[in-house]
Amino acid sequence: MPQMRRYVPAINSVLAILAALATGGIILLMVGLDPVKAYYELFSRGMATHLGITETIIKMAPILMVSAGLILAFKAGLWNIGTDGQFLMGAIVVGWAAPSLVGTLPHGVALLVLGLLGFLGGLLWAVIPAVLKAKYGLNEIITTLMMNFVGLNVTTWLVKGPLKDRTVVPPQTPVIPLEGRLPHIPLTRIHIGLIAGIICLIAIYLLIKRTTFGFHLRVLGENRKAAIHWNINVNRVTILVLLISGGLAGLAGANDVLGIKGLFQAEWNPGYGFAAIPLVCLANLNALAVFPLAYFFSFLTVGGELMSRAAGVPVFFVHVIEGLMFLYFAAGEYFQKEMG
Amino acid sequence: MESLPLLSKAFFVVLFGTSLRASTPLLLAALGETYTESSGVLNLGIEGIMLSGAFGGFVVALFTGSLLFGFVAGIFIGLALALITGFLTITLGVNQIVVGLGITILASGMTSFLFRILFGTRFPILPVVATKLRIPVLADIPYIGGAVFNQHLVVYLSLALIPVLHILLYRTSFGLKVRAVGEAPISADAGGVDVAWVRFACLLLGGALAGLGGAFLAIGDLSFFVSNMTLGRGFIAIAIVMLGKWNPYRVFLGALLFGVTQSLSSGLQVLGVNVRPEFILMLPYVMVIVALVVIARHTLLPSAFGLPYRRGEK
Repeated sequence: MPQMRRYVPAINSVLAILAALATGGIILLMVGLDPVKAYYELFSRGMATHLGITETIIKMAPILMVSAGLILAFKAGLWNIGTDGQFLMGAIVVGWAAPSLVGTLPHGVALLVLGLLGFLGGLLWAVIPAVLKAKYGLNEIITTLMMNFVGLNVTTWLVKGPLKDRTVVPPQTPVIPLEGRLPHIPLTRIHIGLIAGIICLIAIYLLIKRTTFGFHLRVLGENRKAAIHWNINVNRVTILVLLISGGLAGLAGANDVLGIKGLFQAEWNPGYGFAAIPLVCLANLNALAVFPLAYFFSFLTVGGELMSRAAGVPVFFVHVIEGLMFLYFAAGEYFQKEMG
Repeated sequence: MESLPLLSKAFFVVLFGTSLRASTPLLLAALGETYTESSGVLNLGIEGIMLSGAFGGFVVALFTGSLLFGFVAGIFIGLALALITGFLTITLGVNQIVVGLGITILASGMTSFLFRILFGTRFPILPVVATKLRIPVLADIPYIGGAVFNQHLVVYLSLALIPVLHILLYRTSFGLKVRAVGEAPISADAGGVDVAWVRFACLLLGGALAGLGGAFLAIGDLSFFVSNMTLGRGFIAIAIVMLGKWNPYRVFLGALLFGVTQSLSSGLQVLGVNVRPEFILMLPYVMVIVALVVIARHTLLPSAFGLPYRRGEK
């Protein structure tokens, strides 16, 4: 059944999602909440209301961008766990530059420049882990994680100090005027960040599948020794992959500042990284499989908030489900190997 | 104020006392992870295990009014999560990084979720004050005495574990098996060592100590629980093990270094030095990166590090 075997990874992911939802239901029962009501509110409000659907699609954009960066890194066997720090860095650079840029440059140019700045902000935050990995072989999991905490504190300091809008009390950057933000896709409330996210993922898909660089990074991910043997410049690939991965997380930061929030606020950390890591693994690092999963994860976040208000289930329940999906997916890998 | 405030007695007592206390959760987790890593398993889940231990320890201590029960709860939660990790990574042989991150994400969500269920938006504080054990004569030594010999029981326990775990790892046949399993599981297996059993034992030890460390953080060092309060301590513990190159004594020095950086804030406050709190808060994480670059670049990991072992597979 060679055709069947192609679908085994997808079946594994779907089973992991179902098993996580089932376990989540048992957990709800155990703490005295009604799982039927909770899931009814989650799915009906998240998937069957105009508000739920629109919000879900809007929130897909940053998840698509972060996921694109993670797929690139994970394909090369590089565990960039620092996307949250990279996201914040991209976001604060845009929060700082946007108010002065949107008035002076033509709107389209300003948005392009700001997107680039966000990308650079995230990229900058990946430089240290990338160089240390290439030069000294320092474990990127540890360094990118540490950079998350450093980034959180650096951005908090910046927004409370040098970059603070002095005209208001709460620590935040100046509000970007509505006409300076990302325009909407015609006839919808969805801004064009979604299109940028889709482009990012497709670009990463093509980069991995169709270019020499993509081939090199796949070899590196599969077998480091083989990559060296094949005369692939391992250090160059390592650094470039981590920088692009960080840049895409920074771009997501730009998207959220320009499209959703309109400013950078202290204590703001949506933590897309810890949702996107399980997501790209469930997608088996296949960029095209990210689309439905990004919709599902975004739905969980949006629906989870609506559910918490309607059914009294704390929003953190969504993270329980995400963690469970990840573990069930990992367990499923074993059975996949046994069957394959 | 004395002429040289840096040498003032209050500063020393606060700095050393809080350093030792602040480094205890790290030390416990790192000592356990020393065994886990030596046996060839990377347990990224200890961040989640510490957080769960902190949550469980706090809740049990709050409801029973006993710190001891809280610590025991932390240990058992650590064991339970290590058992799940072991089943997935050792028995099923799936990717250790995926499982570790999964455990951490699950623990982060689960503890916040349960805390909200139990307490709503309230933040209860543990009424029992952490019981310190003052060692009579030694505590009277100027400067260090008051800081080192007037500590919580768990602090002494973690210090006592250092030589014990060092001897166990480097002077006993069990320790030899641990290192053999980490370096060459195939040869160890051929030599009659039960690879899975040894790895399970190390993982469980690591889980128990990380759980205890987390519980100590919530109910020994502090007396409350907040979401994600471990703030990457589990990951720092992993870095400390790399810095200490699997030697419990050096691991202790590493943990102490981070305890010092973490408690610098309270020490500097005593001195009246005004530094932006964000810079003090980020110091431990910067230190990890700097220390790794200075001490642990090109550290040789155990040869079978991170790889599952199944008989008959290469």
